[in-house]
Amino acid sequence: MEDDDECPPLAVELSPEKPYSPPPLGPSAASPVGVTVITGYLGAGKSTLVNYILSAQHGKRIAVILNEFGEEIGVERAMINEGQGGALVEEWVELANGCVCCTVKHSLVQALEQLVQRKERMDHILLETTGLADPAPLVSILWLDDQLESSIKLDSIITVIDAKNFRLQIDEHNKSSSFPEAFHQIAFADVVILNKIDLVEGSLEDLERQIHEVNALVTVVQSVRCQVDLNKIFDQQAYGAKNSSQLQELLEYSKSVPPNLRHDNSISTLCICEQDPISLSKVESWLEDLLWERKLDMDIYRCKGILHVHNSDQVHTLQAVREVYEVLPAREWSKTESRTNKIVVIGRNLDINILQDSFSRCKH
Amino acid sequence: MEKGGAESSIACARCGKPASLQCPKCAQLKLLREGAAFCTQDCFKEAWSSHKSVHIKLDALTLQQTPEGWQYCLKKGRTRTSQLPRFDWTGPLRPYPISKMCVVPDKIEKPDWALDGTPKIEPDSDLQKRVEIKTPEQIERMRETCRIAREVLDAAARIIKPGITTDEIDRVVHEETVARGGYPSPLNYHFFPKSCCTSVNEVICHGIPDARKLEDGDIVNVDVTVYYKGVHGDLNETYFVGNVDEASKQLVRCTYECLDKAIAIVKPGVRFREVGEIINRHASMSGLSVVKSYCGHGIGELFHCAPNIPHYSRNKAVGIMKAGQTFTIEPMINTGVWHDRLWPDEWTAVTADGKRSAQFEHTLLVTETGVEVLTARLPSSPDVFPWLKP
Repeated sequence: MEDDDECPPLAVELSPEKPYSPPPLGPSAASPVGVTVITGYLGAGKSTLVNYILSAQHGKRIAVILNEFGEEIGVERAMINEGQGGALVEEWVELANGCVCCTVKHSLVQALEQLVQRKERMDHILLETTGLADPAPLVSILWLDDQLESSIKLDSIITVIDAKNFRLQIDEHNKSSSFPEAFHQIAFADVVILNKIDLVEGSLEDLERQIHEVNALVTVVQSVRCQVDLNKIFDQQAYGAKNSSQLQELLEYSKSVPPNLRHDNSISTLCICEQDPISLSKVESWLEDLLWERKLDMDIYRCKGILHVHNSDQVHTLQAVREVYEVLPAREWSKTESRTNKIVVIGRNLDINILQDSFSRCKH
Repeated sequence: MEKGGAESSIACARCGKPASLQCPKCAQLKLLREGAAFCTQDCFKEAWSSHKSVHIKLDALTLQQTPEGWQYCLKKGRTRTSQLPRFDWTGPLRPYPISKMCVVPDKIEKPDWALDGTPKIEPDSDLQKRVEIKTPEQIERMRETCRIAREVLDAAARIIKPGITTDEIDRVVHEETVARGGYPSPLNYHFFPKSCCTSVNEVICHGIPDARKLEDGDIVNVDVTVYYKGVHGDLNETYFVGNVDEASKQLVRCTYECLDKAIAIVKPGVRFREVGEIINRHASMSGLSVVKSYCGHGIGELFHCAPNIPHYSRNKAVGIMKAGQTFTIEPMINTGVWHDRLWPDEWTAVTADGKRSAQFEHTLLVTETGVEVLTARLPSSPDVFPWLKP
């Protein structure tokens, strides 16, 4: 309370009203920070990869979140490489205790956004997952709608595989119908780091071929002690419409992979094509029958494709991970390229005839 | 505000000339600059005797409303403080101290968070991943519970007028819920300290009822959820307090229409993601924005479960509506930007630009032919929305 009510205080200069500034999350005008999920079984070398990234002189400021899924302890450790010659910083990322309350973003996303907000600069985030068998739920958490304008963006899933163990699993798989553990993670991966190649005798070509039989779209990087060119694993932008050209290259490559002739329950890749323009609404219904209602009895892990949509001059890209899918216009068709539909499907119990026939019924 | 102008276009509160000075007390309290700006010290001096009552009023409110045991809420309800927390408040509204948690009689069936604030079943339930088809028996229980929730909300609506505190609204909600044998679901849900949410003016949702008196011209959303016979019923409405300006009336009406139009498409076979297209289209046509941080949700024996139903367009929500599903749709519509900030209590979500927000919510049942609005207005519901007059 004013002691001297009779005498007004000196008026101060009118502060200019701040027009509303950009969203508080994330550095202003910066593009979203990429998030890479690292999967792989115990012993494959994930920790070696993480240590390499944290210590290598790459000039990037990278945070590594060490997460023990299945144990929701509420606090995760973030190791941050401060960049060229900088110190290693350890921080704690507070996760809300799973409080849903009608929120769109999972508490993990909110925690990562807060981490980005606290830092002046953050170039990338790695999410190391221990004990995570199926990365699909994590993808559905991190693969955010563009409308949310988040300061983070899912970049890719990287799987680290021990080449020697993988060869043993392949040999066992060829003898019997046993199912290699690594296949499941390969199916979801955008990049496979084939690690410990120095321990493998003989050719690595058959291992790479086996990987591509499971997932024709994956990029395979060979390594010893997970020392890789970081440009090959960062900024993959595997989710979103922006890299449709790279997607088209992958689709072209996938056609050269011979179809898997085995009729077991293996995870495999199929490619279906259709020259005629399709109806977008029919394709969406087709995807929903396939992914949501599972009317065709196939277990779909991932889909990627480009679509030639009736009455549109734009290439549309298709992305799906389990039930979550998105079809987005990506860019204009160029005059020189032939317009066509190409979709790659990765999953189990795939039947190319059923897939091709049902997709062809999506023609306009 | 005129965005392009480099100069402030605020007028002197006394003589109307362009203002370049402001009251230091108002600046300190982050009150609105309109009405507190002056062209010269002399004008300020002349206006002081009438202007200072603004401060006195605010100071008096602050002092009056801090009886024993009332404190500010922090950490989602886990802690309290006697000092107004520091925050870069986005608009003119401030938190006020809150009273102690209301007590629920022993005989009333309680959800598993009533005692310690932590839901046990809900976080890990399979119903977070698949959308439940309710049994006829569950549906009947939900009809009863939603009817109670509607009656409770209507009781709250009847007492709204300038001078009523949001704490008093909470007390009415609590008493009316308990009187009907229900438990107010928000109470101690993840430590939420009150029995309902009251969201005033720029508050988007999850406002905590407190000692603030409603003022003429406010809008206030009251969000009620009742737990009865093992199921929840959830709804909310935004009400006018006294005489409300035209822009706020349009905001509230448009928000009502957004929910109405979204409900109109509910029937088996419709994608959940379609809801956001309907809401976004209607809000955009009125120059309003859709809050994107919160969504509709499944409801039943759990307070929140699958599906998540975003209110914004081009979302990737998974799934198709089927008969027997129950969920809420609850659009929050803003006059300015869609972004939100969280207050220091970590519950109250406010608009990032301090402009107003409105919300309406219903609990819905998908039927074989369409939809049943389980929390629909009753013939006895108070007559508070002019556009509903026949």
